[in-house]
Amino acid sequence: MPLMNHCHPNISQTNLYKKMTRKIVFSLMLTLVAALFYSCSEKGEKVYSGKSFVLTDMNKKSITYPDITKGKITVVGYIFTNCPDICPLTTNNMRLLKEKFPRRDYPEIEFVSISFDPKVDTPEVLKKFAEVRDLDLNGWTFLTGEPAIISDLMHEAGIISIPGDSTVTPAGEKIIFYIHTDRISVIDRDGILVQNFPGSSLDIDKAYREIIRIY
Amino acid sequence: MNLLFIILSIFLQHSGITIENPWIRNSSTGTNTAFFFTVNNAGKEADTLYAAYGDFAEVTEVHETYKKGEDMMGMREVPIVVIPPGSKVVFKPRDLHVMLIKLTSDVEKGMEKEVILKFRKAGEIKIKAPVKGMEAMIMQHK
Repeated sequence: MPLMNHCHPNISQTNLYKKMTRKIVFSLMLTLVAALFYSCSEKGEKVYSGKSFVLTDMNKKSITYPDITKGKITVVGYIFTNCPDICPLTTNNMRLLKEKFPRRDYPEIEFVSISFDPKVDTPEVLKKFAEVRDLDLNGWTFLTGEPAIISDLMHEAGIISIPGDSTVTPAGEKIIFYIHTDRISVIDRDGILVQNFPGSSLDIDKAYREIIRIY
Repeated sequence: MNLLFIILSIFLQHSGITIENPWIRNSSTGTNTAFFFTVNNAGKEADTLYAAYGDFAEVTEVHETYKKGEDMMGMREVPIVVIPPGSKVVFKPRDLHVMLIKLTSDVEKGMEKEVILKFRKAGEIKIKAPVKGMEAMIMQHK
């Protein structure tokens, strides 16, 4: 249940204590999981341990990633569409970075956004997410997939996403907000990780220079 | 209706709470979005934001985004936000925001949506906020 009720703003002490206890337990769990999921891709190493993943794009087309970007520079961001704040910023930063590389001048750069919430982020949801933001999808692919495959991919990428706070709608639907790695990665033509950047606070010029350096 | 707004305006002047630079990020039906603004408390007493409401979302909550560890981000509900006297509190991307959860209609650029902010002293303040696209984030999130 949401902590605040619009009609009855009184906050239940019990609920507050329960919520605080959950947060402490959650923090401990997060530390443990973070240790287990320590990034497998390091700068200068092959991303995803050289693995390929059969995913689905926003047009419901089966895509083998990262094979589709082979021989090209890849800018990849990790998102979930229920994310209210960070992922829209990450997506916007990818948009701003993409605008610096007009497709006609830089055809060998591919932008990819991969959801780590595949149960919610169906191809239709990803398509709508892109459409409502007027994103130029020429050279930008949104990917989702089977939960087990996505989990493997995120593990290899060192992306952590753990259910955090949640809200239950009046209809009883539970909406989960993930605590997650905030990341955009630049990968070179050989699938080598060039640099990880903070996704939601990306230094656009720095990322631009890094891509120009390897283009 | 006009009389209501006049009464509301007079009341707001007395409370010292005003809302500046409101905007809502565009999004589509069934998804979530956020409402950003600045609360200016020109009064001599602190006030407290304890709830918010938008009739175009199934749930409205006050949230904050926070950093966890080196490169992880999360978000959590905050039960109250105290606005000290003579101060401004900015609700902005990567920070405090009002979460509009499970939108019941599309929230498109160029629209104007009403959100109610509930303060302990100032009472309910109705805000008509313009809906903006991704370009608005550049201005506020740094």
